Amino acid sequence: MSPVNTPSKASKKAGIGAKKSGTMTPHGTGGLDARLFDMAALNLLSKGEEPIDEPPPKIALERGKLLQEVRKVLEGQGGDKKTVSLVVIGHVDAGKSTLMGRLLYELGRVDEKTRVANERGSSKAGKSSFSWAWELDGTIEERERGITMDIALQSLSTPQRQVTILDAPGHKDFIPNMISGAAQADCALLVVDAITGEFEAGFDRGGQTREHLLLVRSLGVSQVIVAVNKLDQVNWDPSRFEEICGLLRAFLVQSGFPSSKTSFVPVSAMLGVNLVNNADASVLSKWYKGPTLVDLLDKLEPPTREITSPLRLPISNVFKGQNSGTGVTGRICGGVVQVGERLRVLPGDESAIVRLIDVEEQSVPWAAAGTNAAVYLTSIDPIHLSIGSVLCPPSDIVPLATVFTARIIVFDIQLPITTGTSIELFHHSRDVPAMISKLIATLDRASGVVTKKNPRGTSAEVEISLRVGTLSGPTLSTRPIPLEPFSVNKDMGRILVRRGGETISAGIVLDIIS
Amino acid sequence: MKLIGKFVDKNGTGYVNLRPEDDEDMWHLYNIIQQGDLVRAPAIRRIQSVSATGSTESHRVKLNLTIQVSRVEFSSSGAPSSSADQTSSPAGSSSAAPTTTSALHISGPVASENRHVKMGAFHTLDIESNRDIRIEKVDGWDSVALARVEEACVPGRGAEVGAVVCGEGTAAFCLLSQHMTLVTHRISVPIPRKASAPGTSQYEKAMAKFYAILYEAFVRHIPYMSPSLRAIVFASPGWVREGVFNAMITEAGRRGDKTLTKALREKTVKVHVSSAHVHSLVEVLKSPEIVAQLKETKFAREGIVLDKFFKMLGVDEMRAWYGPDHVRLAADRGAIGTLLISDELFRASDPKLRKTYVELVEGVQQKGAEVVMFSSMHESGQQLNQLTGIAAILTFPLDVEVVEAEEREAREEERRQQETETLDGGGVG
Repeated sequence: MSPVNTPSKASKKAGIGAKKSGTMTPHGTGGLDARLFDMAALNLLSKGEEPIDEPPPKIALERGKLLQEVRKVLEGQGGDKKTVSLVVIGHVDAGKSTLMGRLLYELGRVDEKTRVANERGSSKAGKSSFSWAWELDGTIEERERGITMDIALQSLSTPQRQVTILDAPGHKDFIPNMISGAAQADCALLVVDAITGEFEAGFDRGGQTREHLLLVRSLGVSQVIVAVNKLDQVNWDPSRFEEICGLLRAFLVQSGFPSSKTSFVPVSAMLGVNLVNNADASVLSKWYKGPTLVDLLDKLEPPTREITSPLRLPISNVFKGQNSGTGVTGRICGGVVQVGERLRVLPGDESAIVRLIDVEEQSVPWAAAGTNAAVYLTSIDPIHLSIGSVLCPPSDIVPLATVFTARIIVFDIQLPITTGTSIELFHHSRDVPAMISKLIATLDRASGVVTKKNPRGTSAEVEISLRVGTLSGPTLSTRPIPLEPFSVNKDMGRILVRRGGETISAGIVLDIIS
Repeated sequence: MKLIGKFVDKNGTGYVNLRPEDDEDMWHLYNIIQQGDLVRAPAIRRIQSVSATGSTESHRVKLNLTIQVSRVEFSSSGAPSSSADQTSSPAGSSSAAPTTTSALHISGPVASENRHVKMGAFHTLDIESNRDIRIEKVDGWDSVALARVEEACVPGRGAEVGAVVCGEGTAAFCLLSQHMTLVTHRISVPIPRKASAPGTSQYEKAMAKFYAILYEAFVRHIPYMSPSLRAIVFASPGWVREGVFNAMITEAGRRGDKTLTKALREKTVKVHVSSAHVHSLVEVLKSPEIVAQLKETKFAREGIVLDKFFKMLGVDEMRAWYGPDHVRLAADRGAIGTLLISDELFRASDPKLRKTYVELVEGVQQKGAEVVMFSSMHESGQQLNQLTGIAAILTFPLDVEVVEAEEREAREEERRQQETETLDGGGVG
């Protein structure tokens, strides 16, 4: 695949080559190979340019037609399963990864060979209880520590649904990663540890159960399945199951999860009980007649997708493609994308062409809002792609903000929010230092009526500005972040505010000031 | 800084001769010199002369100039700007070693004429280290300014800390001295996240690259050999700091860099912080590991006091006040236990405003309360600046609204009294 074949490349080469031949190589016309060597030495072929070798694919469908097709598929007319994405949350060591590893195995997504390999590997490392989790915890460090540190992306299919699994880390230091995963999900699976004392540790103040639930709720997730794990460790005690359900139910309602959309299921991840079929659960089957975990997954309802709005794809991962080009993954927050389209990367001035779209490890011609897609881009240098950037159509670009107003809900916090509070602002996979620059009004939580203008202390309508380059150094101008008011695009308008490792509030963007 | 001479009479008029020596001294001078002051310092001025035949000739003359300050500019050339920019290429991190020199420029009209320069001609003085500078205050030296001079001239205050605040793929190198935090360098390496199938090896490769770049940057930007460097802090969320530290030790061992290995083993403090941004330096400063080691230093104290204020704000809102007006009200009532004030307020270009703050500080000090002056070159000072720059922890609770109502009443009363007085006066007349 010599680059010289492409017309654009060839002309560029000839231009530089000609200059060279004038000074260095006397036999300019014949020295094509020599010139190629020269070029190689000059490193003019940077990695980002390689994909130009292949002519970019053409756009297959016109937009109107594409939308029609998308709608058809989303309504399930084509016989395809509906797709939902699910984030797995819960306190550290509740067994999230283990549950998912086991579930993938039970559903035949993990073959026997891998399972045996994981089992052998983990027992060799003296951590045989982590053997199921190893399927999702791939990196060396995660395996060494026996803890999930970053989102793992997997997919599985139930009879009715195609489910994208985002296995979130439970440790509080990795909440930024968990937020990044939760921002890509439609539904949540909460895993709680039924062991006496363990559930309480996760549910009390400082545990991640509450914080995770509040986070996913703030990010727009309303359906939640609660898997009460490790029930085998308490001898399948029905009263323990009921006790946990009672405590959680109250908290879920209080946090704004509709009770019709929450369900509870007792499981044991290590033994694989009540995941796919409950027949083998000897003790459990005596008192539990409800659905299994897979049955519940099968009933998850995907929310309505905003396919007609302009494309928004916040990047959650950038990696090198297997052959060439750069791959980015992320969940499409609005609109549709198809192969061959030119997309703008914001913030920045670069644009790229979509070469391939992968959904669930299969190449597809297009992807619509709500899908977790891997998009391979060409004609862009990978350094322009960073986690947190947003891909959008060049005709309809996402606004950039450094100062904006937001309506926030303040969580149960120890220190009040004041003007000038330093915060970390989370928006999709990006987190930036920011501050509350103004408190505009306090609102009544239920009715939304302004109760106090310009308050001192906690408040609910605030102005947030990104912090300008701090301390010494050349005064850096703040890099704006791509953001949209909630009224325009729901997914792009949700923010989370953290301070000192604690989530202090969540909110929606009202207006972008600058 | 060296105090060369000080001639200040009891009314505060007079001048001070100072010899700045390092970056921090520049920062002190920036805080001492105000608009309207007379500053005398060596300068180089280009003189143009026209000869009788009309040909012009220009040459540089070295001379001492006295100017009346109209503008003071401070810039610290800390980080070579590979910046917070997340997309910055790793190539940017291999820039040349910085000579961390802050620059202070003072401009204004010349106040004393000499052979070369006419009165009133504008000049900008570049203040250089080891060159004497004379500062004369027109309105006289106030207590805050004199305290600053004294503080600046305390010898051997170079307790420095080098800190690396890192996250996965990002790192900021900071140097902390008494009054300044310098972000000397930032690096950011794109780390592919853990993806299901192909990503894992890429992640490890990228991390290895990140460690390598970090090592290079560390050697360049942290003066680990300097004996005045008291601690090297590695701060990060998660376990990145362990990974970084181990990678540094291994690499130093591999290269046979004994001084670095020794410095790392002796001076390293690993601190857990909640985010990889530079502003988590405040968390570093209030962490028990650092407090135990450096509690007498100014920046650690600032961190502790600010933390105390915020805690008070959470526990008892009536004992934590902020904002100039409110703090002044609290001072009037003698309620202030600790006053937190940023040096930025004293740099106010309006001398009257400065005077009010000086009076406030003096008043509070007289009542036996503690005054902590924050340097806005530290993260804690920056956070105080965001919070209006002035705050106070009160000794007894006071309700802002009650106090405000009282004030309003008092004013009303006064007004009424005045009215009646004028009425009475009218009656008599």
